[in-house]
Amino acid sequence: MSPWTEKYRPKNLEEIKGQDEAVFKIREFLKNFGKKKNALILHGPPGTGKTSIAHAAAKENNFEIFELNASDLRNREKLKNILRPATEQMPLEKSDKIILVDEVDGISEYDYGGLGELLSVIESTSFPVIITANDIWDKKFSALRKKCEMLQLKEINVNVLKNVILEISAKENISVNDDLINELSAKAKGDMRAAINDLQALSKLKDYFSVILDERNKETDIFSSLKKVFQEKPENEMLGIFDSVNMSIDDIILWIEENIPADYKGEELARAYDLLSKTDVFRGRIHKQQYWRFLVYENIFLSYGIASSKKNTKTGFTSYKKPSRILQIWLNNQKTVHKKSICHKYAEYVHVSHKRAMTEFPVIKLVIKSNPEIQKELKLEEEEIEYLKI
Amino acid sequence: MVSGIWTEKYRPNKFSEVFGQDNSVKRVEALTNSLNIPHMMFAGPAGTGKSTLALIVVKELYKDNWKENYLELNASDERGINVIREKVKNFARTKSIGNIPFKIIFLDEADALTPEAQQALRRTMENYSSTCRFIMSCNYSSKIIDPIQSRCAIFRFKLLEKKDVEKVIIRICENEKLTIKPEAIEVLYEGCEGDCRRCINILQSTASIALSITPELVATIISNTKPRDIRVVLDYAISGDFLKAKEKLLDIMLKDSISGQDVIKAIQKEIWNLPVEPTIKVKLTEKTGEAEFRIVEGSDPFIQLQALLASFVLAGLGKE
Repeated sequence: MSPWTEKYRPKNLEEIKGQDEAVFKIREFLKNFGKKKNALILHGPPGTGKTSIAHAAAKENNFEIFELNASDLRNREKLKNILRPATEQMPLEKSDKIILVDEVDGISEYDYGGLGELLSVIESTSFPVIITANDIWDKKFSALRKKCEMLQLKEINVNVLKNVILEISAKENISVNDDLINELSAKAKGDMRAAINDLQALSKLKDYFSVILDERNKETDIFSSLKKVFQEKPENEMLGIFDSVNMSIDDIILWIEENIPADYKGEELARAYDLLSKTDVFRGRIHKQQYWRFLVYENIFLSYGIASSKKNTKTGFTSYKKPSRILQIWLNNQKTVHKKSICHKYAEYVHVSHKRAMTEFPVIKLVIKSNPEIQKELKLEEEEIEYLKI
Repeated sequence: MVSGIWTEKYRPNKFSEVFGQDNSVKRVEALTNSLNIPHMMFAGPAGTGKSTLALIVVKELYKDNWKENYLELNASDERGINVIREKVKNFARTKSIGNIPFKIIFLDEADALTPEAQQALRRTMENYSSTCRFIMSCNYSSKIIDPIQSRCAIFRFKLLEKKDVEKVIIRICENEKLTIKPEAIEVLYEGCEGDCRRCINILQSTASIALSITPELVATIISNTKPRDIRVVLDYAISGDFLKAKEKLLDIMLKDSISGQDVIKAIQKEIWNLPVEPTIKVKLTEKTGEAEFRIVEGSDPFIQLQALLASFVLAGLGKE
């Protein structure tokens, strides 16, 4: 299945939504080519239609499109051998074309050679050049900016996003309610691609979609809270820090467990884990005694306590990871389905608990493995017998 | 049909076939012969004959009808006391078959129930006492609430002595036409710590490889079935690599499905093989003891084990 962002990419400039000014300007640029500057930079945040506008403009004028992206810009030789010939007018060539240099800001400091070549190509080109970039204000692009016309694309208006979502849902035959449309369009923050991608995800996941959207939201909250706790000085305000995180305290415990080693080492690590361990003890007491006031201690240890485990404040970016343990347990369960079912059958048969059969599995396995009679006796399935052989 | 699984094949079917536990066996036998038994509780370590004795009672009482009059439940497998109550209710609703006026419910590993669940169980026992007798098994009777204990005749099971296990092994070997050296019996007994079921399982595993049972072969099988690589986890921790230690630990726990308490047990034993100063060994043991305590108190053993590893990292650095 093709991504909907491709499937519903506008085919001509009429179909470009919410960027009327830009559409007008690009038409002017193409009409007046040869009279002013040879290149146009389309810049703006992701998902605002830079590449789409370039392609739509080419289609509208029946131009071919010659496209280069950041990875092609790496190499001066390559540019010379590919880009330059493309910009030269060949006799007998049928149609006009547009040269599209996509994502020019993907070019790194080490690619200056490539950038220089691009500049000289712009000087001599016989065809209009369109350059796209998220951020064109870097110093290294100052020469480029001077040689080009600039066209800034703004974030797409939320109402435009809503209409597009509605339109695509209708074409795809999926029903979305108002809440969902509002949520999708608000979350996209002016990024059409994000909105469409989210919608496509919805079509696959149906009921689960709202959960996933939720998840994204939560993660930003947990990331900033973790950063505060792990990196900043403990302050009284920190006590309530996890209240604003829309997650259960058990989930927060898992996040902290996963990420303590990311910022703490040695004594800090041991102190933080000791507090996490005490948090868990209080959690156990809550469960056993149903005495919920202990929750207070859980909260204090997790926030202020963990924060106080460090000797000095920390700076810098840590990429906190999603808790992986639950996933690992799940994956392991998938792998051990057969082990479980074997133990289940064995346990019933010899009057022991499943748990004990699981712990004694290494011995049990040896007993069952080499004896087809026993396998028959326990009514093992073929996959289970296969599993024993591993 | 004779089972191919030796623990079943050689499970005693009569009181006279049970080795060890002389006193308890005699008292249970006498009660059974009177055709009226009280609620009973069998307390003792794994593999000492609790389930076996319960099965013998049932078979003696009901003869061929035993399956219809017997319900076996495992407290550590059933999902909650309500499931147990429901099953008991359904089972107890119909009259017993034959001339014994009650049915028997065997509740294995009753100490896996929380005190609250045990309170609920006590009510259930009272409600159905006219139609059902309970036989409960547990490792420690201290984990069973007093009201239940007081309703039961309690029988204690000891670890099997070497001479009893030896009798079992020799009987099996004669029957299965195996040759076994006395030293191999020694290794078997030591490796199973008095757990007769484990002992028979290991004997059968060994026999699947060779008909002549040598001590070396038994030792290999036993070491293959022990929780592996705990030493590797400790080595990583002591050398300061917390992340590797944690990763390996989770790996072992998941792969071999061992509980946090089993890991703690293995760690506690392994400390004595570590190349560290005597004072540090004591320190590590102290930490391990605290971790075991917190596992019992807390709710997530893996968090406790991570905290323990983090403190081992410190000890490895010579701090604390």
